[in-house]
Amino acid sequence: MLGMEDGLIGLAWLLSLGSALVCIIYGAIKWNNSGDKE
Amino acid sequence: MNLPLLTVILLIYLGIITHLVYLGYRRTSTDEDFMLAGRDIHPGIMALSYGATFISTSAIIGFGGVAAQFGLSLMWLTFLNIFVGVFLAFAFLGVRIRRMSLNLGSDTFSSFLGQRYQNKRLTVFSGLMIFIFMPAYTSIILIGGARFIQQVLNINFDIALFILAVIVGFYVITGGLKAVMYSDAFSALVIFTGMLFLLIGAYRSVGGVISGHRQLARISDLVPAELMEMGHQGWTSMPAFGSSLWWTVFSTIVLGVGIGVLAQPQLSMRFMTVRETKSLYQAVIVGGVFIFVVIGSVYMVGPISNLYFVQQEGAIAQQVVSDGNPDLIIPTFISRIMPTWFLYLFMLTMISAAISTVSSLIHVQGTAFGRDIYLSLLRRDAKDDQPQPASPEQGSTDFPAGAAFVSRVGVLIGLGAAVLLAYVLPGGVIARATAFWFGICAAGFLPLLLGALYWKKASGRAALWSAVSGYVVSIGGYLFLHAAEASEIGLAAALVGRETLLEFPWTVIDPLVYALPVSFLVFVIGSLLDEGPGEEHTARCFAGIREEQQN
Repeated sequence: MLGMEDGLIGLAWLLSLGSALVCIIYGAIKWNNSGDKE
Repeated sequence: MNLPLLTVILLIYLGIITHLVYLGYRRTSTDEDFMLAGRDIHPGIMALSYGATFISTSAIIGFGGVAAQFGLSLMWLTFLNIFVGVFLAFAFLGVRIRRMSLNLGSDTFSSFLGQRYQNKRLTVFSGLMIFIFMPAYTSIILIGGARFIQQVLNINFDIALFILAVIVGFYVITGGLKAVMYSDAFSALVIFTGMLFLLIGAYRSVGGVISGHRQLARISDLVPAELMEMGHQGWTSMPAFGSSLWWTVFSTIVLGVGIGVLAQPQLSMRFMTVRETKSLYQAVIVGGVFIFVVIGSVYMVGPISNLYFVQQEGAIAQQVVSDGNPDLIIPTFISRIMPTWFLYLFMLTMISAAISTVSSLIHVQGTAFGRDIYLSLLRRDAKDDQPQPASPEQGSTDFPAGAAFVSRVGVLIGLGAAVLLAYVLPGGVIARATAFWFGICAAGFLPLLLGALYWKKASGRAALWSAVSGYVVSIGGYLFLHAAEASEIGLAAALVGRETLLEFPWTVIDPLVYALPVSFLVFVIGSLLDEGPGEEHTARCFAGIREEQQN
């Protein structure tokens, strides 16, 4: 993947991208929810 | 050196930073402004300030150089930095730290632990550990900034370090958290943009991402023999499983820094600076994107620099830089592939990144000295869980002039110790010293911090013994077992005539790997055997936490 020879390195890259997306999505959902209750 | 260009960039940059510091300083009127930026900072500013404090010259210069040596396996640290250092830290621990510190009226990491556990000895012990060992980390932040100045201005390292120490000294003395958080956020924005440019520039210099990685895989026979023997299998491959390099990359670098971030006093305090839980959810978005781009870029640019140097100069990165010092790889690479204006801007970014982190560390260290150690010892007869909770409006004004003076003395001692250490530490030490500091903090503080936030029955005595055992076992490991430090310190050699007490793999397993379980066990077993805190105190600590977490 992306020319990275070792699958475990590709996995680390994917997990990093996934974690960044989790931060964005989770943050947005919780931010929205806590906004509704105020 | 292009002096007119450097002067123009320097003046613009200093103008912006000075204005931001003045803005924060002018708004610093109460003690709580000084300690916690008034608990009312904008979530975006908080996240960027956290980012700039977390990602300092250590990560970019030190760990970037390590990535150039060891390869893309450091991408695992990127994953942990985002998942643990931002997601878990902000959305789970941060939410509880903010609320509980507000319930207890605590404004330093050590006072928070001491009040939560109703154990003043814990406040003094943790303040002492911070005060004694933090210079190990502060000094290498200074070294990172000085290495960049050395490379860009082509001056002697000692002179570069002196220049940086003077700038940082001026900045730190103005003090106060609010004053630094605005300029931190600006530094973070410049770091973010700079790293994006660098990432694009690096891959353009070697013909694109996929082509670059494929070519990098092809030159794996150029890995130095010494690293190959340790288990290096090329920059696009993982180190051989169980080899000494594998243990170094995964137990020291990935685990030590990846997990240790949760127990960093200067970062935990950042969660106390926002007004409401909602702010932390906004901050997690900014933090996740920032760390992904900045750290992801550093750990990809480091390895790819080898390919550039081989193509242009016929040797890998570590052979190109002077003395083979890995801390010079990233500064050298940037100076080769980027335009001069970018180089100067990046140098100023590194200086301000060093300033933001050092001022934050020194702030924590000074208050550990003045408030957590001096004030706690001064009031031996006071109750353990003083002061009573302060509401955000009234602020905690309980800060006698004597303690403020002692805090400033602590700041000066902390800065002096850091500068002195920066002069005597050997080259290429940045990543190792960072891992040491993050490792001992994780072993000493992580179990009792998690217990404070999630376990109502956690006992104060168990927490103190857990902290003591974590620090003793991890520091003992560095002195007697972990070869990288033990052989240089030479204590084991002086006592038993051997560099380390045990053989491989103990010589390469980071002490965190065994110190953290020991400290966890002491904490859990101790708490189960001891009486827990009274219900009234527990109710006060945990007031409102469940509601906030469920929102």
